[in-house]
Amino acid sequence: MNKDTVTFAIMLSVIDFFLSMVMISGIGAVLYLLPYLNRLGKLDEESMRRGH
Amino acid sequence: MFDQMMSFLAALGAQTGLAHFWWGNVVMIAIGIGMVLLAIIKKYEPLLLVGIGFSCIISNVPGSDLILPGGLFHYAYQGVELLILPPLIFFGVGAMTDFGPMIANPKLVILGAAAHLGIFVALIGAKLLGFSIYEAGAIGIIGGADGPMAIFMTVKLAPHLLPQISVAAYSYMALMPLIQPPVMKLLTTKEERMIRMKQMRVVSRVERIAFPIVIGILVNLLLPPVAPLITMLMLGNLFKEVLVTDRLAKTAANEVMNIVIVILTIAIGSTMQADKFLTASTIEIVLLGLAAFMVGTGSGVLGAKIMNLFLKEKINPLLGSAGIASVPIAARVAHMVALQDDRENYLIYHAMGPNLAGVFGTALSGGIMLALLQ
Repeated sequence: MNKDTVTFAIMLSVIDFFLSMVMISGIGAVLYLLPYLNRLGKLDEESMRRGH
Repeated sequence: MFDQMMSFLAALGAQTGLAHFWWGNVVMIAIGIGMVLLAIIKKYEPLLLVGIGFSCIISNVPGSDLILPGGLFHYAYQGVELLILPPLIFFGVGAMTDFGPMIANPKLVILGAAAHLGIFVALIGAKLLGFSIYEAGAIGIIGGADGPMAIFMTVKLAPHLLPQISVAAYSYMALMPLIQPPVMKLLTTKEERMIRMKQMRVVSRVERIAFPIVIGILVNLLLPPVAPLITMLMLGNLFKEVLVTDRLAKTAANEVMNIVIVILTIAIGSTMQADKFLTASTIEIVLLGLAAFMVGTGSGVLGAKIMNLFLKEKINPLLGSAGIASVPIAARVAHMVALQDDRENYLIYHAMGPNLAGVFGTALSGGIMLALLQ
């Protein structure tokens, strides 16, 4: 396939934009799950700051 | 005797730069001086423009050995060419960035992709103007408004365009307070600009530590082409968030960052030699870059408005413009535009969410582009 054409540039743009949307939505989904980690417990920030 | 003396002086003259001086050098030296003056007088990105401007001036003095192998400017450029400096910048940025606003409001991350339509408008525009697909890809990424990413992509796809693309990217980032507001106001009503955002939840330390680790794994797994940049961004952020490495985080955010900025600005300026820079393609790249920034701002705002069609609790569409990346300039612009209509509408913290997502949006677009082109 000849990549050096306007048609390929348009196809590349459409695929790239669509996939970027999907992947960034995936990152958003991961961010939605992060608060569940809080069920594991809480970190003592004061002791972490003093620990080095 | 006189003839001998004259030929001796002529030989000496040929050794100096004067013999090779042409009007292009004068133009580029004037541009370099202009950059330094803009930084001093208008305070436009002084950390970048002073170094780039000075390096541009010196690189256009014929005879300067600094840009030749063995010269310091040449080795500074090796840091760019070998892709050492862009990941180090991301490392420093990660160490100084609070990803809390992005973690606290995940729905806004979609704006980080919506605001990147400009990349593709510039890409197609460049192809229509006759650039190769690789050059068009590198030009398009200017619309991501992310300097290190623009450099990274250009070195991978079209290294000969590095001076034009890096100068366009950094110049437009500095000029965002002038470029974005007219587009933002054109696409929103006063009522929309006055929408106030609900206070965000507090993000715990556990989440802040988990975030860079999870993203580091995902990016290396799914998008290896741009993994070096995002991985270093996440490492810097992890140093910041774990609290037990604050010395390292401070070093990354200050000393490392400052040293890298010095080397990077020298490297970029040293590529701005008249014979390479003063071409018709430079004007085309600069115009395409401007179009990319404007379209990206507009698509971000429209993306937020489309989201509002589905959301119960409406978001301020100005937040969409911050999705264009360029942290934190775009977030600050959204905040300032909102303040013009409502003096108590503080958008800055909310705008940082899409603004940080924009960094990921640019990296994703760039990574997918590299994967499809290589």
